[in-house]
Amino acid sequence: MSTEAVVELTGVTKTFPGVVALNKVDFCVRYNEILGLVGENGAGKSTLMKILIGLYRPDAGQIRIRGQLTTLKDPESAGRNGIGMVFQEGCMIPNLTVCENLFLSHEDGFMRHGLLQHKMIRSAAREVLARVGVTFDPDTVVQTLTPGEQQMVEIARLLWLSSLYEIANPVLILDEPTTVLLEDETKRLFEILQEIKQHASVIFISHRLEEIVENTDRIVVFKDGEYVTQLDPRQAEITEIEKLMVGKELTLDHFWVSEQGEPETDQPEVLGVNGLHLKGKFEPISFSIRRGEIVSLVGLVGSGKEEICECLTGTVKATSGRVAVAGKELRLSSPGDAVDNGIGHIPKERRSAGLALDMSVMDNINLLVLRTLKKRGFIRRRLEKANALKWVTEARIKTPSIHTKSAHLSGGNQQKTIISKWLSSSVKVLILDHPTRGVDVGAKSEIYGRIRKLASSGMSLLIMCDTLEEDIGLCDRMIILKDGRVVRQVQCPPDQKPTPLDLIDAIV
Amino acid sequence: MQNPGSSTQSESTQSPVTLREPQSRGSVPLSLGRIYQVIGRSGVRGQILSLLIIVLLFALGTGGRYLAVGNIRTIIALASIPAIIAIGVHQVVVLGGLDLSVEGVIAICAVSVGLLTRNSMTQADIGLWIIPVVMIIGGCAGLVNGVLHTKLRIPSLMTTLGINWVFFGLAILISRGQSIRILDPRFQAVVSSRVWGFPTVALFALGVLAIVMLFQSRTRYGRYLYAVGGDELLAKQGGVKTDRVKILVFVMAGVIYGIAALLLVARLNSSAARIGDNLLFPAMTAVAVGGVALTGGIGGAKNALFGALIVSALNNGLVMMRVNPYTQYAVNGIVLICAVALTIDRKKLGFIK
Repeated sequence: MSTEAVVELTGVTKTFPGVVALNKVDFCVRYNEILGLVGENGAGKSTLMKILIGLYRPDAGQIRIRGQLTTLKDPESAGRNGIGMVFQEGCMIPNLTVCENLFLSHEDGFMRHGLLQHKMIRSAAREVLARVGVTFDPDTVVQTLTPGEQQMVEIARLLWLSSLYEIANPVLILDEPTTVLLEDETKRLFEILQEIKQHASVIFISHRLEEIVENTDRIVVFKDGEYVTQLDPRQAEITEIEKLMVGKELTLDHFWVSEQGEPETDQPEVLGVNGLHLKGKFEPISFSIRRGEIVSLVGLVGSGKEEICECLTGTVKATSGRVAVAGKELRLSSPGDAVDNGIGHIPKERRSAGLALDMSVMDNINLLVLRTLKKRGFIRRRLEKANALKWVTEARIKTPSIHTKSAHLSGGNQQKTIISKWLSSSVKVLILDHPTRGVDVGAKSEIYGRIRKLASSGMSLLIMCDTLEEDIGLCDRMIILKDGRVVRQVQCPPDQKPTPLDLIDAIV
Repeated sequence: MQNPGSSTQSESTQSPVTLREPQSRGSVPLSLGRIYQVIGRSGVRGQILSLLIIVLLFALGTGGRYLAVGNIRTIIALASIPAIIAIGVHQVVVLGGLDLSVEGVIAICAVSVGLLTRNSMTQADIGLWIIPVVMIIGGCAGLVNGVLHTKLRIPSLMTTLGINWVFFGLAILISRGQSIRILDPRFQAVVSSRVWGFPTVALFALGVLAIVMLFQSRTRYGRYLYAVGGDELLAKQGGVKTDRVKILVFVMAGVIYGIAALLLVARLNSSAARIGDNLLFPAMTAVAVGGVALTGGIGGAKNALFGALIVSALNNGLVMMRVNPYTQYAVNGIVLICAVALTIDRKKLGFIK
């Protein structure tokens, strides 16, 4: 293993409105190494990778590739510099064959008399695939391959492209490749990566720390957009890495814990979930939420928590199970039924899913309660305005007027508008999906306070947060999921909050 | 460490390295099995099957008259021009778009043919030069569609709907709303002739088919067409110049409509702006029935051709069975909707508008 760097980033900073995604990061990839990159969700790993493949441009800092100062202005220029990424969701065109995907947009070498030569393409494809140790028919249509096979094709394409550009030591970025793989497929992937390493560098992102420790040459830890440290996997302990990923504890006051009530067992159950099951996503799960209780679903991407919420709101039809609100059972596949019975949902992509951006603040707040604002069958302007004004004042939404387009509000105020929408419809259960994503620190605290008030007013809340600290700080009770199964339930009363470190081994 | 959320569950025994032997292509003696194998790989198996069923039903229904040589010839001749148009339309559909400008582009091309060959209205006579000229006119119309669609980012549905009326209006204006008689006898002579008992117009359809099939399988842009239809964003990220692909497809469609317009005029020996009326619907039906998915990425020129044959066979049969013409309209409409319902890829659609 050489210690020289193929790619070297110095002082790279990237900010998005309200968030510093990367803060003066120094980072390097060496020749012929497998580099394990770890960090919590939101630690800045993806932003860093997107900078490396030219999807984002850093606000400040330098990128050196093989010693040369370089700007990566788009994925193509990254490709020309021998940097390529295999995305989690894959980027093969599903209706094309393996060889068409392999050589897409670089077919010049296979033309004779202006026509593509299928024989040449096929034999070249077999050769390229053999380099990553697979031998399936290059005429197979990609969508019939397993995710593991598709990954191999993508890796093969990246390696082929770098040989086309005559780059000696390409850099391959693999973003959580093993989440879609079975056990023996994972083993196979690492065998192939060890071979590829002889003439390439690999950045390997994963939440599965065992994998990282066993298969990488160096581990880099990120936290809150900053480079924390690097470790030698031969000496690193998993618990030590976990500690570095989570960082130190936050002061709990941030989460208005002083207003969190003592756990009360005499409150009635509002949401009852019984044996809810979605095939392939999560195993049968049963839980209930009492009046005024905040329950947090914790788990990594792919743990099933997102799907559980989608089933509760009726946007995805559960395979089996029962959901009841205040004793009344819901139809499983009807978002309308969920809303009518008092299940509210604030999605994480509020720009696309939670708010009609082209509509005014007033229209958004009134969206769910229009039928109560009618008189003699027609909607009354006056009642609409009154309801909107009431909630704008109540939730302190900063807007020039209730007729302003929601698109013109800041992220925090948009979030407050959505919360108001659900509050005015008097929901009993509110599902909050990453309520503080993309919200700046000041507004965060205000939203935490708001969530506390909702709970003390008797609403039942199901939350999923950006960070573990947030979950711990806010909730009364925590349900930890892993690979679609409940692995632990943890009580979080105000005086006995667990630390992230107590929980991380159950999550990862 | 296996993830139950992954879709690989059902194939849990498969390792990433799967040996898939390419199908043996040794010399199998000609047999039913062999024919079935060829049809199975061709991508139009369902279409051939439906065609056989339709033929069988009508053959029984008409007491065999349907299978008379003369009638089969009629079906093929009637399918030819719709098939050419459908071959033009289907590539736009493979892109994931729609081309509603068929009738307008054919109108402008047909009127141009009428005014530029020896005719009853003007003094012009460019003779056989009309063949490249009408293709260029059609191609330019397609270029307008393509450029407006890609550069102004207007959905193809709306671009082509607007352009349809622009060219239709223009065609009426320059022909002064009149029909033009063609005085050059060569065109009709060719179109109404037969080669070895086969209608010549069908040979034109086969020619267009061959060229488009060659484009789709053996040229880069032909393959990019399917990349863009499969996933435009990924194609772009993969380095495909997607706008160029789209414009090229619209230009090709225009050229093909030009050829169709010339054949239409030749068949009638006269030209008018209204000559293209009611040609869009059978072409769209042919594309859908042929198995080209409206969601893009699936189906080739063969599919369009077989679709046109099915539509023609169906309509001819209905006429022979003396079905009320208005009932025929309804049957065609139902066939179109059923075909779309069968071919569309609903995974690709979030909301239907």
